[in-house]
Amino acid sequence: MAEKKKWLQNSALLSISAASLLAFLLLWELICRSGAIDPVFLPAPSQVLGRALRMWDQNSLIANIAASGRRVMVGFFAAVVVAIPLGIMLGTSRVARAVLDPILSFLRPLPSMSWIPLTLLWFGITETQKYSIVFMGSVTPALLYVIEATQGIDPILIRAARNLGANRWQVMREVILPGCMPQILSGMKVILGLSWTCVISAELVAAKEGLGFMIMNGKEFFQTDTVVLGMVLISFTVLITDMVFRLIQRSVLSWQQ
Amino acid sequence: MAAVISSAPPAHAAHVGANAMISIRDVSKSFGALKVLDHVNIEVARGEFLVLLGASGCGKSTLLNLISGFERSSTGSVHVNDREVRDVDPGCGMVFQQYALFPWKTVQQNVEFGLKMRGIARRERGKTAQHYIEMVGLRGFENSYPGALSGGMKQRVSIARVLANDPDVMLFDEPFAALDAMTRQVLQEQLLSIYEKSGKTILFITHSIDEALMLSTRMVVMGAKPGRVVQDIHNDLPHPRTAEVQLSPRYIELKKSIWETVQLEVMKSLEQVKQP
Repeated sequence: MAEKKKWLQNSALLSISAASLLAFLLLWELICRSGAIDPVFLPAPSQVLGRALRMWDQNSLIANIAASGRRVMVGFFAAVVVAIPLGIMLGTSRVARAVLDPILSFLRPLPSMSWIPLTLLWFGITETQKYSIVFMGSVTPALLYVIEATQGIDPILIRAARNLGANRWQVMREVILPGCMPQILSGMKVILGLSWTCVISAELVAAKEGLGFMIMNGKEFFQTDTVVLGMVLISFTVLITDMVFRLIQRSVLSWQQ
Repeated sequence: MAAVISSAPPAHAAHVGANAMISIRDVSKSFGALKVLDHVNIEVARGEFLVLLGASGCGKSTLLNLISGFERSSTGSVHVNDREVRDVDPGCGMVFQQYALFPWKTVQQNVEFGLKMRGIARRERGKTAQHYIEMVGLRGFENSYPGALSGGMKQRVSIARVLANDPDVMLFDEPFAALDAMTRQVLQEQLLSIYEKSGKTILFITHSIDEALMLSTRMVVMGAKPGRVVQDIHNDLPHPRTAEVQLSPRYIELKKSIWETVQLEVMKSLEQVKQP
């Protein structure tokens, strides 16, 4: 009974959200149609949709999404693969922290954008350059998340593991890594959003495809509808990756329920 | 009565001798200027169930940490099974008051942990774990996560986890202190039957005199500030320790004797607090 009531409440709230979105789009459409705003400044939703359909037919829509998506995934996973083991090492060893802390402190305040000139010089306008921008923008915050997560582990679990015969390496693999997983995963969700801003900024400066490129290209030809479409697509892809991430989180952390 | 209650601790060492499983020889421990243990001598015989009794601050937990190798003594030495303790060793299995189960592992995986660390094959460790899960009465909960269990069940998992690792000695650090009175009694009875079946040497810490009388074969009372042995008593109460035993004159006599010692120690440490 209570279950059913909750479901009804949820579906009512969902309908309100959907109605709000529709009303917003409708208002936007009406204002544009009334001629109050020049379409060059702000295209109507229907125009953006039309552009989307045309680009779909030319296959450039999927190509741009795929290009940005691939760059994010490669850069993000490279950053995670480096950050998890390194972060656990740094989190558990004070000597390792002493060695790497100065370097990390230097890298941390640098925005990923500041790496664009150097990476362009080193790699040219290539995929490697995009990957490196995403990597540089994600790896330091990811490391900080992992280090913090390792310090949140209950020390008694480490004592218990050692008492049961686990060596240093086994403690890391069997206790610290799984014990950090909840914090690492929620940190990674934030980092993934960050990776997207990195790739878009890299593409805005120099690229031949991708969502950032699409926006800049639209700007060059005064196609405001392309610009808005690019923005909408960025928002959509980030929302979808977020949802996928939440599913992964739920299955990995099933023990928490 | 004087024959069984001796207040001179080293006297006990004589009758234990070469048969000792744990021997604590002249151990002192200080943290900075604070002296926690002062010349402690305890010998625990093979198969003995020794309960260490004392108010908080008497260094009971520190003593357990020295035996399990988490800390080193400032002077003196600790031997377990004729080997000097130099590092953490799975030969001394510890049951913690806070359970210390791995929340991301199932009951089965928790119990298998020590065996897995030793590289024992999956099937064999599964069988061993199953045996001990049944021994503590948790059949049917193999695939539950600790988060879904009650405090008493968690502590049973923790006991099974140590048993599966087949240690020489089991150390209990106030394991039932966080449980309600009824659960505690059930677990005490279970622990006694496990003790009888397994024949392990057990060192058990508590501040409950009744718990000590119920479980032990021998009781050592510790005084505080600094921690030292003040009374060493052979517990000759008959088994099983039923409600009838708990009302017997001998039970009351032992309880009174321990209570007097403990009271004296508590008063002494309160005096010390008053005049810094």
